[in-house]
Amino acid sequence: MTDQLEVTSGDEPFAMTGNTRVPTPRYYDPSFAVLENERLWSRTWQMACRLEEIPSPGDYVEYTICDQSLIVVRVDRDTIRAYHNACRHRGTELAKGSGSFRGGQIACPFHGWRWNLDGTNSFVYGVEGFAPEPPADLCLPQAQVDTWGACVWVNLDPAAPPLLETLDPMPSLLDPLGIDQMRVVWWKAVTLEANWKLAMEAFIEGYHIMASHPQLTQGEGEEYDPNALAYSVHQNGHSSYVSRPGAQRHHRRQVDYLDEVESLIESSRLLCDGLEAMTLPRDLHVIETLRRRPVGENTSLGSELVGAIYEHAKNAGIPLPRLAPDALARWGGVFFVFPHYFVLPQYGNALTYRFRPVHGEPERCLLELWSITIPGSGEDHGRPAMQGPFAPDDREHWPAIPLQDFSNITRQQRGVHNQTVPATRISHTYEVGIANLHQEVDRYLAQPLSRPT
Amino acid sequence: MPTVRVEPDGFLIDVDPGETLIEAAWRLGYVWPTTCYGQAECTRCHVEVIAGAEHLSPVGDDEATTLHLLWGRRPNLRLACRVKLDGDVVVRKRGVRGPG
Ligand code: FES
Ligand code: FES
Ligand SMILES: [Fe+2]
Repeated sequence: MTDQLEVTSGDEPFAMTGNTRVPTPRYYDPSFAVLENERLWSRTWQMACRLEEIPSPGDYVEYTICDQSLIVVRVDRDTIRAYHNACRHRGTELAKGSGSFRGGQIACPFHGWRWNLDGTNSFVYGVEGFAPEPPADLCLPQAQVDTWGACVWVNLDPAAPPLLETLDPMPSLLDPLGIDQMRVVWWKAVTLEANWKLAMEAFIEGYHIMASHPQLTQGEGEEYDPNALAYSVHQNGHSSYVSRPGAQRHHRRQVDYLDEVESLIESSRLLCDGLEAMTLPRDLHVIETLRRRPVGENTSLGSELVGAIYEHAKNAGIPLPRLAPDALARWGGVFFVFPHYFVLPQYGNALTYRFRPVHGEPERCLLELWSITIPGSGEDHGRPAMQGPFAPDDREHWPAIPLQDFSNITRQQRGVHNQTVPATRISHTYEVGIANLHQEVDRYLAQPLSRPT
Repeated sequence: MPTVRVEPDGFLIDVDPGETLIEAAWRLGYVWPTTCYGQAECTRCHVEVIAGAEHLSPVGDDEATTLHLLWGRRPNLRLACRVKLDGDVVVRKRGVRGPG
């Protein structure tokens, strides 16, 4: 779906008034960030953790957004809950970071009140010293919780529509690729000196590849076709881009084909080294075998590549789902899931991102990156742990492509303060996803809160 | 499977690989003193190691921080909610109640 969505123009400050300009105060104005906190983050579905972080009953992960904290807890094999992370006595945070509640109890460190994993109160020390309370009022309050794409999603708004309704149509695009079977290879974080939306925008468009990642154009420079990528906006603020269909050529002459193989190997190596995700060393190895793979008449490199990848998956016991051609075309694409999550699928792998504002600092955000893959038979990736946050210019921990992106993001954040830039200029073709993101933010900001504050 | 003997009552607790002493005790129905329920915060689960210290897992950061809070800071104290073991151990712990 590529039709333009209706444009909101409300009374909110710095509202979008079209799809070719983004008012720059949206990236630094403190009152705008407060409004986002109150009206967006308080009622949108967010990726809270990966499922493999909480494999056993009692395992928990703390999820923080703005000044709110939730504890996502595995209650039993089939139940996950998200509790507000505050004691029912005097509000102390019950848990920090991640870990496991033992003995089936969540205990407050301050005065020792306790809860069962299902959120019911199990102990009040010196209970006779308190006025009787209805037991329900001592239960831990819950946020909405659901799962999709091997992740736990939470929503602070009890009245919010169901997760799958809000994610639509992204699950229909990504589920066929097997992302819910993927497990973490690595998980790293970086703190960026930039507004969360501005930082995300660098991943919503591939228009910057020519100038920012020149190594990926294989020397084509300005000849690199900006229309090689096809951009789509979807409902609910989501957007995506993939290689334009029909870009793959058919080859008749063997010599052309082998040139094409070498260039695929080269670009795959640049991605593998430059990203350390999406194209993993095992995939690079498979791609190198294309040199020796016999080819028939009228074959395309694309179909040979797909054949080789599936053959390897079969031998390695990787349950790579069979894909129809339209789903295969999503390999190598970028899928933005509003408000803060990305999936970049490739073969049996993906790179995923999550962005979060740093509370009270509109010009800082936390970005986490996960490289995930469908494990082969007998591979166990265990419970993942985050590395970092590393500095955005840390060459020891970031490969080339993220280093290039991070450096542009911090420069742009400084630039948008310039008095000559009241608004950024947005392409109606390559950057539609950016306008779509901001318009969806405005739709949230335009709705006053119904719940008492 | 390694066994822990808990003096002075002589309880024998079999501990699974990867399991902490307090979790093994709970799994077998013992009542073991705690307030924080295995978060290495309350110190109440601590044991005095009498024999077999070489079979205990090394002291981690959170356990070390909490052990410092214990009176006397005797070197042979460990937290039952953190120790795992790869051989038989004898500890002293008062206040443990047997199953049933
Ligand atoms: S604040 Fe939690 S028990 Fe008092
Ligand atoms: S159970 Fe509290 S410190 Fe071990
Ligand atoms: Fe980039």
